[in-house]
Amino acid sequence: MTAPLTDNTEPPISRRTTTLGLPPLRDYLSEAWRYRTFAWYWSKADIKARNFETVLGRVWHVLNPLLFGLIYFIFVGILSGGLGDAERLALIVGNLYVWMFFSGTITTGVGTIQNASGGLLSQSAIPRVVLPTASAISSINLFLRSLIAYVPIHFLAGRGIHLEMLWIPVLIVITAFFGLGLSLLFAVLNVYVRDVSRLLPHALRLWLYLSPVIWAYTQVLGPSTLETLARINPLYSGMAAWTIAFGGSLDPTGPSIVGLIAVFAAWSVGSLLVGFLIFVAREDEFAVRN
Amino acid sequence: MRSGIDAIRVSDLSISYSTVVEVPNHDGRSWFRKNTRKREIRAVEDVSFNIRSGSAVGLVGGNGAGKSTLLKAIAGVLKPSQGQIDLWGRPHLLAPGMGFNRRLSGRENVILGGLAAGMPMDEVREKQESIIEFADIGGFIDLPTITYSSGMFGRLAFAVATHVDPEILLIDEALSAGDAAFRNRAVEKVKDMCTAAQTIVVVSHSSSLVAEMATEAIWLHRGKIKMSGPVNEVTGAYEEFQKVGSETAQFDRTIAEG
Repeated sequence: MTAPLTDNTEPPISRRTTTLGLPPLRDYLSEAWRYRTFAWYWSKADIKARNFETVLGRVWHVLNPLLFGLIYFIFVGILSGGLGDAERLALIVGNLYVWMFFSGTITTGVGTIQNASGGLLSQSAIPRVVLPTASAISSINLFLRSLIAYVPIHFLAGRGIHLEMLWIPVLIVITAFFGLGLSLLFAVLNVYVRDVSRLLPHALRLWLYLSPVIWAYTQVLGPSTLETLARINPLYSGMAAWTIAFGGSLDPTGPSIVGLIAVFAAWSVGSLLVGFLIFVAREDEFAVRN
Repeated sequence: MRSGIDAIRVSDLSISYSTVVEVPNHDGRSWFRKNTRKREIRAVEDVSFNIRSGSAVGLVGGNGAGKSTLLKAIAGVLKPSQGQIDLWGRPHLLAPGMGFNRRLSGRENVILGGLAAGMPMDEVREKQESIIEFADIGGFIDLPTITYSSGMFGRLAFAVATHVDPEILLIDEALSAGDAAFRNRAVEKVKDMCTAAQTIVVVSHSSSLVAEMATEAIWLHRGKIKMSGPVNEVTGAYEEFQKVGSETAQFDRTIAEG
């Protein structure tokens, strides 16, 4: 506690705030990277804890999306006056799994901040972005498990193996990034206005119906204003790309998968960038307000 | 042990945050009128000091003096609003139970808590047995921690938190953990940690805990440094101040009542 000495080398850790309330981003990211093993283990533990004390345990990871898919298959069948064929079932189930993956990334990501336990917000120095990211890893993991239930339906519907399937790994990354970006954004909003987490399920439900998930993307390829608006929805390109990746193109004259992925990727990267910056600038509020 | 060089350097540090407070005397009749308002709290204001590597420093001060906020900023829990904190060495805030998930088993929580405290996986695995042995909870280690008594949970949480080997050790206030028998072991364990750590910062209301663990002290009052120096001088002055403070309050009460 004497006058500052000058014989010290560069400090290995330096904490300060630059413009707009952001810490130096390189430091922040390298610090977040230090906790990658934690994120990985946390995600495994999170999945395990989700089915705590249920009789079927892990089976629920496959059963839950399967039941969800069947319910919507029946629902769409009633609306269209006939159950439809295995191809429709494959379309609905495949798309719904993607939807559950995407919306799950958002809601559980917000949840990691809202319901953080174990003093992770009030006592740890872990960069907060690690938590929603770990939860996004859980979502990817669960999505891959749910595909186990999709594969038999895929072949039952006579959907073979085709080249567009190679896009699936790319689409998983883009979808996870998009979901993560939005979860960071909503996690911040939710700290200021608690109503956000109440409103979120309803907004997501609406988004599900407005996107080509339980209906085919080819149904809105026309020139009308409503159809044009439907195609502006970021998830239109995303879900259309997924539909093609799963089952091949439904309409050879329709949009190409590469173009759809490009638009979806732009939305995804944009939302991740904006979400990340706002989140990092405001993450101190979590410790104070929670 | 290094000495003569800084481990912690705090320069012109201010930490403020806004919080929502409820407006008192609100009749609650209107659904839409705001009955809350934002209030900015300046917890730490323009504070600068250096802590040499190898020293043990106590932070004293009353409620709301900014001690814990300052400690959390050094730990990296809170960001500086203004100013800068430089650290030569990795800090560790002693926070039992940090990162725990109550639905997981004790064994899994040892790993989760260890990783959350910043230990690499190899180190966690290496120390796992010694942590479990220290916690002394027998066969419960493989059961979900939700089934633990609070004492057992406290012991396990404490065991994980004290098996970190930090260069800079940050301790906040009371070291409450479990029953009396365990408390003695806990205090011994923290003392061992202090011996191993190069630099220690300890926060306390009571100057006796600080006097026991520190060689130097900083006295914070309403977010600013009121005094710093050798521990006896600072805690002496702080105790004097508290006594005078309570006497003044007593005097004020007497006047008011009289």
